[in-house]
Amino acid sequence: MALLNNIGALTHALDKEMERDSSIIVYGEDVGYEGGVFRATVGLQEKYGKDRCFDTPLSEAAIVGTAIGAAINGLKPVVEIQFSGFVLPAVNQILAHAARMRNRSRGKYNLPMVIRMPYGGGIRALEHHSESLEAIFSHIPGLKVVIPSTPYDTKGLLLSAIRDPDPVIFMEPKRIYRAFKQEVPEEDYTVPIGKAKVVKKGSDITVVTWGALVREAQKAIEEVEKEGISAELIDLRTISPIDKETIIESVKKTGRFLVVHEAVKSFGAGAELISIVNEKAFLHLEAPPTRLAGFDITVPLPRGEHHFIIEPRQIAKKIRELVKF
Amino acid sequence: MFEFKFADIGEGIHEGVLLKWFVKEGDTIKEGDSLFLVETDKVNAEIPSPVDGKIDKLLAEVGDTIHVGNTVVIIDDGSGAGDITRGIEIKQEPLSEEEKGAGVVGEIEISSEVIESSDEGKQEEKEMKTKVLATPVARKLAKDLGIDINLVKGTGPAGRVMKEDLHEYKKKNEGIIESKYIKETNVFAQPLGDTFLKPEIKREEIKIYGEVERVPISRVRKTISENMVLSKSVIPHTSVMDDFDVTELVKLRTEQKNMAKEKGISLTYMPFIIKALTIALREFPVFNSSFDNIKDEIIYKKYYNIGIATDTPDGLMVPVIKEVDNKGILEIGKDIETIVEKARTKTISLEELYGGTFTITNYGALGSSYGVPVIRYPEVAILGIGKIDKKPVVLNDEIVIRHMMPVSLSIDHRIIDGGDAGRFLLRLKELLGNPMLLLLS
Repeated sequence: MALLNNIGALTHALDKEMERDSSIIVYGEDVGYEGGVFRATVGLQEKYGKDRCFDTPLSEAAIVGTAIGAAINGLKPVVEIQFSGFVLPAVNQILAHAARMRNRSRGKYNLPMVIRMPYGGGIRALEHHSESLEAIFSHIPGLKVVIPSTPYDTKGLLLSAIRDPDPVIFMEPKRIYRAFKQEVPEEDYTVPIGKAKVVKKGSDITVVTWGALVREAQKAIEEVEKEGISAELIDLRTISPIDKETIIESVKKTGRFLVVHEAVKSFGAGAELISIVNEKAFLHLEAPPTRLAGFDITVPLPRGEHHFIIEPRQIAKKIRELVKF
Repeated sequence: MFEFKFADIGEGIHEGVLLKWFVKEGDTIKEGDSLFLVETDKVNAEIPSPVDGKIDKLLAEVGDTIHVGNTVVIIDDGSGAGDITRGIEIKQEPLSEEEKGAGVVGEIEISSEVIESSDEGKQEEKEMKTKVLATPVARKLAKDLGIDINLVKGTGPAGRVMKEDLHEYKKKNEGIIESKYIKETNVFAQPLGDTFLKPEIKREEIKIYGEVERVPISRVRKTISENMVLSKSVIPHTSVMDDFDVTELVKLRTEQKNMAKEKGISLTYMPFIIKALTIALREFPVFNSSFDNIKDEIIYKKYYNIGIATDTPDGLMVPVIKEVDNKGILEIGKDIETIVEKARTKTISLEELYGGTFTITNYGALGSSYGVPVIRYPEVAILGIGKIDKKPVVLNDEIVIRHMMPVSLSIDHRIIDGGDAGRFLLRLKELLGNPMLLLLS
């Protein structure tokens, strides 16, 4: 049992799995020699050689395209896109090919591949470095979209993603790469894709979020708890497919629903969750299911970014509003 | 000479601790050879030399904190000498807002805070305590009707509470709907099982601009406060006022005072006023009623119990003289004395505070002339009596001195109109202006 942060858990999980399964290859920009810009793949090239862990040119379409070919031919590529904002050149490969290969080949080929990417704001980064694009991938049938928020889940979900027979988009909230540590068991374990986690039980309102905002929601919930409001917190963990059962069960109990996400509000994952709640828990609702999400704008550069980032006080305010509705 | 500066090794770090030197002064090195080991958050990085050459000077010791931009080592690469300074402790120029975090990976929060271990797979039994089934529309209706929807038995699909169920429930439970009704535990409670709508009281923060002292209020004060709020929130008040010429009454009382004293009664004006009131209340029964706004009915009371608002050391209390219609003036006088004394000495029983149908408040006793009394919920009127003074008045076109008593009557305007109030006051005026009528009525 080691105390690891989210980056440490990534490195540890990749290392363990590469050791266990020789068909796994890891590559991307700066991934090999440098160990990645965020140091997620540190030491892997040294340990497994340049054939299994290597650098690529700046070529997202090629990184994903070659991964598709490699996966069809029996390898298990785990590729890194340096920032989720850089994935756009690869979107054609992901949407038009990776997501459809099983269907297109009528089940003959499946693609056991993982596309890792740091995402999200709050770290005063450059343009194209702060977006949250989970909804784009979640909208496409054939892709699974996973976002862990803790070291334990990072390892468990990454192992599930690597072992999944189909493409998984693995989005890493970079703001909390090194923000805290947690006990991560040495032994092999997985966290199932498509299963949300009830982080904290409560009776007055269900709050669903993911990524870096899980921690912010926890702070907000502690605050409203002092006022006698009991909030249930769910870390969605998998954006697609959504764990409807856990959410519906919770809303049936609490009667209120708030989804919080960093991604822009319009056409976001929050809207999908609210639809599910409306369809499946309508008769239990005490207040309108509500979204707290990013503004519909490009994430501002460092000087204005704090206006965009959702803070605990905003979450707490929304919780109060809904409980008093 | 080549000054090797510690550079951001790519995690948005600003500093690190020098753990180990791989070289010493005088060593010859090649490009790519490791110079030193630096520890940033959990990442120990060996920093390679960017040039070939000879180590001229080490500018940091093991354990030093080195900042990005500090010169850590001087390498003689054959390019000639320059001015070299030890730069370990030199703070960097502060960066402008837009430059900060403009490193390729931004500013990542780094902390060794340990979060709780995952309880994955160890979660306890599901608790399926779900809410009653109802559409938001039905929930809203329940809220509007003051019904706790969880108490309603639903007749819809799968036990869903329908709007009809709520109306049905309301009809059945008229008057005993819990959430918004008075709990009859305070000194003003009615032992009759009557319940009336009680408003919700909003509480707001009080801003303070200087030194204060906070003193908790007594139970009696709390009861007074709640009842006043209740009364003024529920009852739309209005008042009519008049000055009664009570010269005859003053005369009568003065004549009878000694007779009463022999019987051990100190005769005040109050028993006369109560007697007059009883007569008027019989003639105008609505003033001796309560309004049930749940059933939209007026409850006419066939008994006459008059409350006397009494100033006690603890605050306002209202002892009640029971069945005044069956008592004579002297007897009422005796009752008043007894009960007011009990209220002031806190020996009064709840029984003696219950069951009033109409209240008199005598602020004249304290020297005030005019007031706007607050009705004692759920009564519908209250009579305020001011101080009796000699005043010049016009009688038969002559200015004469008369004993005048200012009177205020507050009414529940939901069920009593101004006209009724005027007529009621006029009748009282007549009775108190000619006290013989009190005996003859």
